[in-house]
Amino acid sequence: MRILVVDDTEAVLLLISRFVEALGHVAIPARDGGEAIRVWREARPDLVLMDMMMPVVSGPEAAATIKSEAGETWVPIVFVTGIGEESRLAEAIEQGADDYINKPVNLRVLEAKLKAFQRTLELNRKVREQSAKLADYYARAEEEKRVVQHLMEQMVNAERLSDAQLEYWLSPAESLSGDMIAAARTPGQVLHLMLADGIGHGLTAALNVLPLTQPFYSMTEKGYAIPDILIEMSKKVRQVLPVGRFVAVVLIAIDEAGGCVEVWNGGMPTVLAAGDDGQVCHRWRSRHLPLGITPTQDIDVRTERYYFAAPGSVVVYSDGLTEARRGDGQSFGIDRLLEVLQQPVPARLGALQGALEGHMAGAAHHDDISLVLAHFGARLRKTVEPAGGASFDLAAFLGNAELAWRYGLQLGAAELKYINTVPFMMSFVNEIDALAAHQSDVFLMLSELFANALDHGLLHLDPALKQQADGMERYLAARQAGLAALESGSIDIELAGLRADGRDVLRVRVRDSGTGFDRPRTAGQPGTGLALVQALCEQLIFPGSGNEAIAYYSLNPLPVTA
Amino acid sequence: MLPLFYFQDKVMGNMSPTVQVEGQVGRVVLSGQFDFSAHREFRQVCETLIADPAVKEVLVDFQNVNYLDSSALGMLLLLKEKIGAVNKSLALVNCRDTVKQVLEIACFGKIFTIR
Repeated sequence: MRILVVDDTEAVLLLISRFVEALGHVAIPARDGGEAIRVWREARPDLVLMDMMMPVVSGPEAAATIKSEAGETWVPIVFVTGIGEESRLAEAIEQGADDYINKPVNLRVLEAKLKAFQRTLELNRKVREQSAKLADYYARAEEEKRVVQHLMEQMVNAERLSDAQLEYWLSPAESLSGDMIAAARTPGQVLHLMLADGIGHGLTAALNVLPLTQPFYSMTEKGYAIPDILIEMSKKVRQVLPVGRFVAVVLIAIDEAGGCVEVWNGGMPTVLAAGDDGQVCHRWRSRHLPLGITPTQDIDVRTERYYFAAPGSVVVYSDGLTEARRGDGQSFGIDRLLEVLQQPVPARLGALQGALEGHMAGAAHHDDISLVLAHFGARLRKTVEPAGGASFDLAAFLGNAELAWRYGLQLGAAELKYINTVPFMMSFVNEIDALAAHQSDVFLMLSELFANALDHGLLHLDPALKQQADGMERYLAARQAGLAALESGSIDIELAGLRADGRDVLRVRVRDSGTGFDRPRTAGQPGTGLALVQALCEQLIFPGSGNEAIAYYSLNPLPVTA
Repeated sequence: MLPLFYFQDKVMGNMSPTVQVEGQVGRVVLSGQFDFSAHREFRQVCETLIADPAVKEVLVDFQNVNYLDSSALGMLLLLKEKIGAVNKSLALVNCRDTVKQVLEIACFGKIFTIR
């Protein structure tokens, strides 16, 4: 140790200095309190041995200065006191001195005390080092958290969650959530909803759910269906997560126009559909392993559909909600959630938050909590105003029109089995400026005309089947079987931009290699797909034997968005 | 009355797994709360069984487990991977209702032998 020895008596100063040096320390001498302060400032010794009564500046005064200047660093100050200095000594110790030794100095005691201080100083140094290291770690962790939080916010995209059809609540156990809620709409206005729960909570849980966002948003925007998105998500998760890490996921598609809720539940609590009357009308139990566990090709991407006849809400939550445990071990449980559903729809979320708050009674929940209420059935079918408003003379336009651009595609039987044609074409539609504002309409027209060509032209499915009770499931099963067995045939799709007199018209042509039908299918039944197309476009015609459909859609003026 | 697990959590602290080997069967007996805090000890006891050439089958015994979370599921997946790599078999046994529910929601019955 480097020891500052302060004494105005030369003999004592010399004696203590020599002794200290004999013990292997370095002695730095000073002859009064003022000098002691100056030397301390220059040499920064580890310990101070100081006389109390000194000229210029007394021991206690010098000690107070040294202590205040040392700040965080601990500099032990030991007073060397003569008889009669007890009252000042008590004061000095109160002001921060660490110990004292009586005069005349017992060298054996001094040695012992120095040893004790050395041990404590060493300990002190270690603690300071460790706490500095901890502070470093902490600062770094905070910075990392800040970055991930920002990333999460960017990726989760709260803007899209402010959908009138949605209410949600997310309450992380730590500053980062391992639960993620995401929502987006397909070009056909189907609402896609994702609730994901990464293993654990905090940073690593948050990292687990990040790979899901990109496929969810980009594929939904292109109009892909839940099974396609799941496969892509699984690929991403398998690619980036180590063994033992996985993400429980619920994917939901709410198709207001089709009156259908489609759910895939992999490892999340049972998803409920509750009518406005508060009765649970459908349950989707977890039927699949969470993503990240099984290889992508082994994943069962089949969804379960529920066709609703009355309005209600889909209720989806993470286990952090029902398992929220308060001090006495009581969990929040499912019954309290079901009770909340008895409230009128607009009051449900608030009632649930209130119920949980009441249950926890101020205690913190240990896992991330998330809940989404997605309402359905408010409008049973998208109503579409005939396009264009004041109609124009299409025949005259076509007589003058020149072809601005054309995009064609032919798919054979083998390709039809695996190419998801409409989303594939939508990536082109998104690139054409003139079409950008009409994505939703173009998607609907393409989907309906393509489905018409495939289902009826090539697969000869009976459209009447859809109208029967549970007919939709049978219809979809028949389509799947038909597609699997399809050996020949093709579908031609062509999009073309026609231009004349500053007006733009989109021509959509879909032709199948089937035999068509005798009488022109000018309009479907009200409420069917073709009626929707007809309402959207200027004209829909079926030339030839009925295996071809052509729709003319006016690109200006812009459609009034609902 | 407070549920039993409350006292176990408070009094017994976190679980510490024990190992029993009978012939070719190695049994990991867990107790209390099986979550991330059990991570290191669980890995250690499992590694002794994996390294033991006499053990052909590993049983994870949930007899005294009242709660498990998603990190526990992750640990089981890791164990399954390691056991598979040395050609031993693995089963989850004596699951109580609460544990069974968690395993069911995660659909772990599809990839684990549960009995």
